[in-house]
Amino acid sequence: MRLSALLCAGRLRIPPGYRHGTWRPETAAAQRRNPPGQRRNKIFVEPIAREDWKVFRGDTVQVLVGKDAGKQAMVTQVVRARNWVVVEGLNTHYRYVNRTAKYAGTYIASEAPLLLSQISLVDPEDRKPTEVEWRYTEEGERVRVSLRSGRIIPLPLRERRDGIVPEQWIDGPKDTTVKDALEKTYSPSLKTFEEEIMDAMGIVETRRPKKSYWY
Amino acid sequence: MAAIAGTGTGAEPATPLARRWVKLSGHHLGKGQILHSPSGAWHCGRGGGVMAAAVGMAALCRRLTAALRLSGARPGPTAAGLPGLTLNPLHKNLVKVEPVHQLKFLHTSLSRRGLEEFFDDPKNWGEKTVKSGDAWNIKQLRAKSSEDLHKLWYVLLKEKNMLLTLEQESKRQLKPMPSPERLEKVEKSMKNIDLVVKEREIALRLLQTGHEKPVPGEWRHDFLGRTYWYTYKEWPIPWYLNKKHKKRRFYYLRHVNHFIRLRLEKFLRRKARKQNLERTRRKVLERKFPHLAAKSQSQQ
Repeated sequence: MRLSALLCAGRLRIPPGYRHGTWRPETAAAQRRNPPGQRRNKIFVEPIAREDWKVFRGDTVQVLVGKDAGKQAMVTQVVRARNWVVVEGLNTHYRYVNRTAKYAGTYIASEAPLLLSQISLVDPEDRKPTEVEWRYTEEGERVRVSLRSGRIIPLPLRERRDGIVPEQWIDGPKDTTVKDALEKTYSPSLKTFEEEIMDAMGIVETRRPKKSYWY
Repeated sequence: MAAIAGTGTGAEPATPLARRWVKLSGHHLGKGQILHSPSGAWHCGRGGGVMAAAVGMAALCRRLTAALRLSGARPGPTAAGLPGLTLNPLHKNLVKVEPVHQLKFLHTSLSRRGLEEFFDDPKNWGEKTVKSGDAWNIKQLRAKSSEDLHKLWYVLLKEKNMLLTLEQESKRQLKPMPSPERLEKVEKSMKNIDLVVKEREIALRLLQTGHEKPVPGEWRHDFLGRTYWYTYKEWPIPWYLNKKHKKRRFYYLRHVNHFIRLRLEKFLRRKARKQNLERTRRKVLERKFPHLAAKSQSQQ
């Protein structure tokens, strides 16, 4: 168990002065804006603990400040490093994309990120902004509860990165069936993995290891 | 690709049959075969098994040719259907053939499929996306026996070879690889298998010896005064005959104490600087977000 936990790390290393944008750190755009050796002014972000985070992608939120104050929309992106939330279609500015020497580019609306303090989660029945708290139900499930009315705000459906919907899944030719995958074939024994394989394959080791020294 | 059983990793291309054996991927280990691994540490294919299997296959083909030479049999055109060869036990519809006298102690497996296994099902050729299931979970793998894990490792290895071939070919043709997440899933599954086997090994070792680490070691100094964990190495000669090892110094002389002190000062200064930085950053945060100051006050 402890070994598994130790070997979990080992991904992209984010340097200490990294400035997070709306792009993921491994994308080319992010790498372009954060070349190695770049030092930018530090942005102070209100520290929010991982378990206290309340807004997720797919939630309906209401914007409280700015041009689109009072409007509600769905969250399309969350950047926790900067307490940012990008809401679909709100707080937009306009820009040109795909500009070439000959073509002026397409004029599109692009959303600017909003801070958590400029956003509020919405009560599911009232459809009015409320304060939200994490609480535990009687079954022991951790849920978000609206403080004004006491209603539970359900978590938005999390889509898998590979696009699989478990309810609609049909096994392919290379997939193991659920029954086979969950079948328990392990019986604990005092033999090592190698010894068990040798027994199963009928391999008999008759060589004797040569004398070696450990120091 | 490093994952494929390398051709000519120590194999002498003696006869046509020998060369063909070396080209097989490492998972065709049938019953009754003695696996050779000249490195001395013989494990039957988990972890670094590809190289061991490749070398094992090379050694095996040497033995096979030796046996055939002795018995007078010649590799004929019916090598694919040679009696005495069992197909690999990984597939459900296993075809077992009776052993022939001259190959009494040699059961080898020969796959009827050749290089097609490096490529996906022809139905998926040219597709933009290929559907694939989830990776194997550690919890699911913990419930599997060693035999199952062993077989699954080689199935995953072949799939990984196929995906790496596909990736390389897409790079060559400057096209995007269809469903690259399959490679991540396969690598994750293989890593999980490795972890499960390591866990079981550590548990057994703890029971039998009380030690967690496979190789003994101890804390030692080096000639610069630093303390580090020295792991014992396996040597063919005792330490008093090992000239190079005797030159190594696991102690330090008096003049090094000055540098140890400097190093300690450096470490303490760095730690103090980090703590001061954290304190100033926290002060700035409390100034910008006053409710944090109030919260920390109430906590204290």
